[in-house]
Amino acid sequence: MDGSVKEQRKHQQKHSGPKAERKKLKKQGNSTEKDERKRNPKAFGVQSAVRMAKTFHRAQDIKTKKHHIPLVDRTPLEPPPVVIVVVGPPKVGKSTLIRCLIKNFTRQKLGDICGPVTIVSGKKRRLTFMECNNDINTMIDLAKVADLVLMLIDASFGFEMETFEFLNICQVHGFPRIMGVLTHLDSFKNNKTLRKTKKTLKHRFWTEVYQGAKLFYLSGMVYGEYQTQEVKNLGRFISVMKFRPLVWQTSHPYLLVDRMEDLTDPEKIRTDLKCDRRVSLYGYLRGTYLKNKSQIHIPGVGDFQVAEVNFLPDPCPLPGAQKKRALNEKERLLYAPMAGVGGVVYDKDAVYIDLPACHAQQVQEEIRPSTELVQSLIDTHATLDAKMAASKVTLFSGSATLDSADVNVQSSENEGHMEERIWDPISHRERRKVIFTEEADDDKGDASDSSENEDSDIEESDAEEQEDTNENGAGGMRETSDHGGPTVKKRKLEEEKDVTGAVAELPVFADSEDDLEMSEEEGDAGRAADSGHCSEEDEDEEESADEEMDDDDDDDDDDLSKEEEEGTAQTAVKKTASESEEEVQEELGALRWKDRLQQKASEAFLRQQEAMPNLRKLVYGSADSKEEEDGEDVDEELGGLFRVNRPQKSRRFQANALDCSHFNPDSSHNWDLEEMLDSIKDCFVTGKWEEDQDAATLLKEHDEMYGDFEDLETGEVHKGAIEAQDQSQNNESDEDGDAEEAPTTADDDDVQKNKRLDKKRRLKERFDAEYDDGDATYFDDLKEEMQKQAELNRAEFEDLDDETRVQYEGFRPGMYVRLEIPSLPCEFVANFDPRYPIIIGGLGSNEGSAGYLQMRLKKHRWYNRILKTRDPLILSLGWRRFQTIPLYHIEDHNGRHRLLKYTPQHMHCGASIWGPITPQGTGFLALQTVAGINANFRIAATGVVLDLDKSVTVVKKLKLIGYPYKIFKNTCFIKGMFNTVLEVAKFEGAAVRTVSGVRGQIKKALSTPPGSYRATFEDKLLMSDIVFLRSWCTVSVPQLYNPVTSLLLPVGQKDSWSGMRTLGQLKHDLGIRNKPNPDSLYKPVVRTEAHFNPLHIPKELQKSLPYKSKPKQQQRKGKRPRDMQRPSVIREPHERKVAALLQALSTVHNYNTKKAHAVQHAKHKEFLRQKEKDEEAKLKRQKEARKNLYRIMGQKDQKKQKSSLKGTPKD
Amino acid sequence: MASHGLDYDGCNFFRQRLVLSTLSGKRVKIRNIRSKDDNPGLRDFEASFIRLLDKVTNGSRIEINQTGAVLFYQPGLLYGGSIEHDCNLQRSIGYYLEALLMLAPFMKNPLKATLRGITNDPTDPTVDRLKSTVLPLMKKFGIEGEGFDLKVMKRGMAPGGGGEVVFTCPVRKTIRPVQLTDSGKIKRIRGVAYSVRVSPQMGNRIVESARGVLNQFIPDIYIHTDHMKGANSGKSPGFGLTLVAETLEGCFLSAEMSSTPQGQGDPVLPEDLGRNCAKLLLEEVYRGGCVDSSNQSLALLLMTLGQQDVSKLLLGPLSPYTIEFLRHIRDFFQIMFKIEVRKPLEDERKGGDKVLMTCVGVGYSNLNKSLK
Repeated sequence: MDGSVKEQRKHQQKHSGPKAERKKLKKQGNSTEKDERKRNPKAFGVQSAVRMAKTFHRAQDIKTKKHHIPLVDRTPLEPPPVVIVVVGPPKVGKSTLIRCLIKNFTRQKLGDICGPVTIVSGKKRRLTFMECNNDINTMIDLAKVADLVLMLIDASFGFEMETFEFLNICQVHGFPRIMGVLTHLDSFKNNKTLRKTKKTLKHRFWTEVYQGAKLFYLSGMVYGEYQTQEVKNLGRFISVMKFRPLVWQTSHPYLLVDRMEDLTDPEKIRTDLKCDRRVSLYGYLRGTYLKNKSQIHIPGVGDFQVAEVNFLPDPCPLPGAQKKRALNEKERLLYAPMAGVGGVVYDKDAVYIDLPACHAQQVQEEIRPSTELVQSLIDTHATLDAKMAASKVTLFSGSATLDSADVNVQSSENEGHMEERIWDPISHRERRKVIFTEEADDDKGDASDSSENEDSDIEESDAEEQEDTNENGAGGMRETSDHGGPTVKKRKLEEEKDVTGAVAELPVFADSEDDLEMSEEEGDAGRAADSGHCSEEDEDEEESADEEMDDDDDDDDDDLSKEEEEGTAQTAVKKTASESEEEVQEELGALRWKDRLQQKASEAFLRQQEAMPNLRKLVYGSADSKEEEDGEDVDEELGGLFRVNRPQKSRRFQANALDCSHFNPDSSHNWDLEEMLDSIKDCFVTGKWEEDQDAATLLKEHDEMYGDFEDLETGEVHKGAIEAQDQSQNNESDEDGDAEEAPTTADDDDVQKNKRLDKKRRLKERFDAEYDDGDATYFDDLKEEMQKQAELNRAEFEDLDDETRVQYEGFRPGMYVRLEIPSLPCEFVANFDPRYPIIIGGLGSNEGSAGYLQMRLKKHRWYNRILKTRDPLILSLGWRRFQTIPLYHIEDHNGRHRLLKYTPQHMHCGASIWGPITPQGTGFLALQTVAGINANFRIAATGVVLDLDKSVTVVKKLKLIGYPYKIFKNTCFIKGMFNTVLEVAKFEGAAVRTVSGVRGQIKKALSTPPGSYRATFEDKLLMSDIVFLRSWCTVSVPQLYNPVTSLLLPVGQKDSWSGMRTLGQLKHDLGIRNKPNPDSLYKPVVRTEAHFNPLHIPKELQKSLPYKSKPKQQQRKGKRPRDMQRPSVIREPHERKVAALLQALSTVHNYNTKKAHAVQHAKHKEFLRQKEKDEEAKLKRQKEARKNLYRIMGQKDQKKQKSSLKGTPKD
Repeated sequence: MASHGLDYDGCNFFRQRLVLSTLSGKRVKIRNIRSKDDNPGLRDFEASFIRLLDKVTNGSRIEINQTGAVLFYQPGLLYGGSIEHDCNLQRSIGYYLEALLMLAPFMKNPLKATLRGITNDPTDPTVDRLKSTVLPLMKKFGIEGEGFDLKVMKRGMAPGGGGEVVFTCPVRKTIRPVQLTDSGKIKRIRGVAYSVRVSPQMGNRIVESARGVLNQFIPDIYIHTDHMKGANSGKSPGFGLTLVAETLEGCFLSAEMSSTPQGQGDPVLPEDLGRNCAKLLLEEVYRGGCVDSSNQSLALLLMTLGQQDVSKLLLGPLSPYTIEFLRHIRDFFQIMFKIEVRKPLEDERKGGDKVLMTCVGVGYSNLNKSLK
């Protein structure tokens, strides 16, 4: 085409003339011409309002189409590693690619790739690689958790079914980013075929993913690896890729498990090999917040409840903030415990150092019970003291068991430690003091030690923290030994206090072993009640001792003397263990009551400051409710023999009290007093306003906006901005001046600077608001709102430590967590295969139960058969894979769900199943079998959940047939439709119909034969008619929910799960042939020849018929006799010639006549047209004339009328 | 499926438990219901409440043992639709309505509930109070639109009842997070002084005395006198007052007082009632917060059921009912609130301590609403 284009003339630039001058002017920049729009307004004017409206409309439509519903950005600050799933048919180079990528990022070679491999790829990004084998179960599971899919395609072969299956799975479960990678490109010898193949593959890939999807080419292999440069490029693409948030993933927490430990008691396994296992699973939390004790689903295993969640230090952390561009060698971390890499592995309470060699084998060995003793020694996951703690002793049969919690609540090292960490909201510094007190205990109140501690604040806290995280076992043990004695005493002491009732209103943080605190608390009690927060709730008596220990360090500002006293108090308690504690209490109280009033006052102030933990503990208690109950039991037991039956009181509300939301405090304020009235004065608009909302301030601000100005008339200079501020500042300081001296100049500067900055910010905000308001749309507002919410979400819990934060938010995505699941089936551990992904999917609050689901379903167009109602189907829905029995139905016009026997060929239909409650709008896919490799496309259908309910109404048509046995005029007796009178009674008044369309109604049952009834019809029936009653009967959905437990199958057979068989399979397997109803079979049509008898008319009738209708007595014509036949004429040659000539002449004549006739006809036509024309002209003329005439007549009439009108007034 | 349940003791906070169980889908078992009582087991009003719950749900399983001391409840899905319920006369409609308000936005079909019984009594929040405080509160969470209404058709006082209330509520898929940290200043006080089967003058007497107390703070007070007659006046005589203080930020604080039911305790003078009720309102104002004390639990529930965003709410001191509610929320939804106390400043005269409640919602979505 290029060749055919004529060469165009070159543009001639004008060098003179008005155009050139204008251009010159323009170039100089001082164009004298006005703006185009102004110079030639007509050209830019509105030509057509409609068109303009249309254009505007269209522009607006396009603009709006670009908008997505804004969502709150909930991505965590430190995101979890990106899950990259490498998919492809076998022998396409998946493992090689992962190995190359890992080598590219970490410079490490990984031999065998089992399970997920996490690496640090950059300063801000970590990657988790996971290989997906060709088991459809794995493909489904991994598609649900993938962020990025590397789809390997063997270019020498082309696309394989696996690729398309995986793409379809992705489409159903949310489409992650997909990048195609073409391999085996070196097998092409011809460059042209290579190019062509690339192109066709690319375009097919684009239609599947999206136009312009990235397709990567890996050309050849070098020493069994892909070319370094190509891998590097691929790595770059991966590390800059952005991901889309998928609805399911962002609304559910999930883990791709990268480590699994069996925590079951070896003894239990020895006694019962098939016992349920206690397993801890590790992985990065993704998606959204995970709550402790929440419901989870492990695809391939089942539903479980998490017993415990902890977060662990990140095994593969991102490098800290630094400015350099690349990562150094140390920061290129690799973590793959299932592949035996990772080196040091941290657990909640232990550190595992992985020796190279064979990690996987070790795992296998653990299960073997052969070397029981050694194994148990190696593998005890709980330390001895933990076991001790867990063991229980029964002193007397029938009495409750005594466990070590009885002796010391803190001793159960796992739980106790966690409890402490979880339930203690105070900061590190305060926590440090817990141990300090213990140490003080140890040292019998060594004052100097404590003072040292006080000084070396920060170092201590750090050290303690490390201790906490790393040496929990040891720490717990030490604590145990430390606390054994005192705790019991403390509790007893506390009990007694409670009995006396003097300290009923103690705030929780009260230092209960310190009597001084006690007395002070008494004084405080009134105040506490006043505040209303703890008016009703008395201090919990079963508040366990460790809380007390925690609590006393809330008063972190305790000075030295206090510490000393504490120490002495404790020693005193210890010494006087045999004496009665009351005495001690009284003594100490009496001794120190007066001399620390000031300190007490300051403490009271601090307590006010720290009311938060107080109220928090008041509401949520300090430990698990279970723990509390245990404590209660212990408390109420005296020597294991007698139980103290105390009346329910104090914090625990009356269990059977009145259920009422009214809040009527017993100590209501006296609202007759002036000061009480005064105390709420500012709550009303009539009261004093805040500084920044006060009308005066607002006015002032308004002034500031416009700055100084001078009133020219009066000559008065108005000051604005800073001066005014200054003045107000001065005024304020003056006012306050009496109470406090004028602040130092430095302070003043600071204050002023802040004020100035503040004002600047306010002004900017106002400007922004005004500026943006011009074209602020609803969408912008919404986006801004979301933005604000996102900021708030980030900021709200930022300054809390993780332990506390986890309680409020749950475990946030990005954390490395450890989940403990108490009862996993033993096959999970025994048949563990790291090549199969273990996914932990969190479930929403209602998603744990089962119900009926109504879905929209469409058979996949590549699946080569339709699906039958009640044939079991394997669905992948939400996290789950399960077998269920669907009923297909279609919605009629009146909203009725009519059962279908089969799915329509190319249409959506409804499907109802019994299954797990899953949110509406969730996509699902259906398979008929997951076992083995099938040559055909395996995905049978796809669809979406529409509705959830606990009941379902699918109906099918039921026709009841009956036969008339007695027919009157319009009434019939009908039998055979029902069996009893009762059945008929139920259908009285129902409409019935015959096959021929005669409608009727059931009237009343007849006594005999049973089940017969009287019915009336619109016409008389025949005995041969069949009467039917059309009705709908509900069909029940079978309640089958059979999770696909593919992960529990033995290694190597995990892809062979088979559930319930379909009807077809069953028949095939059992060799059952369907016996059709012989009536329904097609037979060859046999038609007998119709034979009609001659029409016989009786003679009588013949006589009376008119002649016309009489049968004619005609004889058949006989043969004509020879003599009657005429002979044929044979012409002479001359005669023949004459005849031929005549024939020719007549033909010519005929032709001529015909022609003449045509001419004549045309002429006549012309004539007619002319005539018509004339006629028309005549008519027109006449009309004109008539019109004239009428006009004149009208005028005359008018004149006449006018004159008559004129005439009347004259008259 | 491994759905697990929760166990509780005693009949206190009965509604909370069943409502939260319904919303969370967790089954609940309540033991020892008045087991030590002379008359053990569930009371009629509780049974009536269970019946109401059964009416709005589909597929719930409720088992009560022979003595009525043990209740097992496995929740179904909330169905909604048009229901009618005759509330037991031991408690007022407010008792039932409080629970219904919590459930109504999460139904399959918009709810239209006609409740009959006692509209006003001293123990439970009256329908007038709920109408004037709860509806604006729920609007803040995005539950609004046409058909969100609470109408008092007939008024019935304790003990006879005979009142009728129609409550309609649209359904929502998600709840909006809120940031209510500033209650604003009170700009006006409104109220209803109602009287049935007594002299219409009662209303005026109540208004007079209530105004006397409140006028020293704000002039914008209007108390409507509502005297119902004939068929609309229920079966028992009585009167009462509901006061609502509206702030600039659209928060509502309310107080109310009803006359003692006929034949139960000493009769009260309307003047006393008005004055005491006004004082109760002042008490409520003293406590402050963005939500008044009886609606705290509803507000906290809606915060919990919000999307996974931070919600903040300033409250007055937590009522015992609310505290237990918070514990229940933790049991059912594993949500803990961050509780911060806001002390009033030295020279500030805005009543007592406030509590700032902060939480991250569970990301609850209405599973009952069908997708069409």
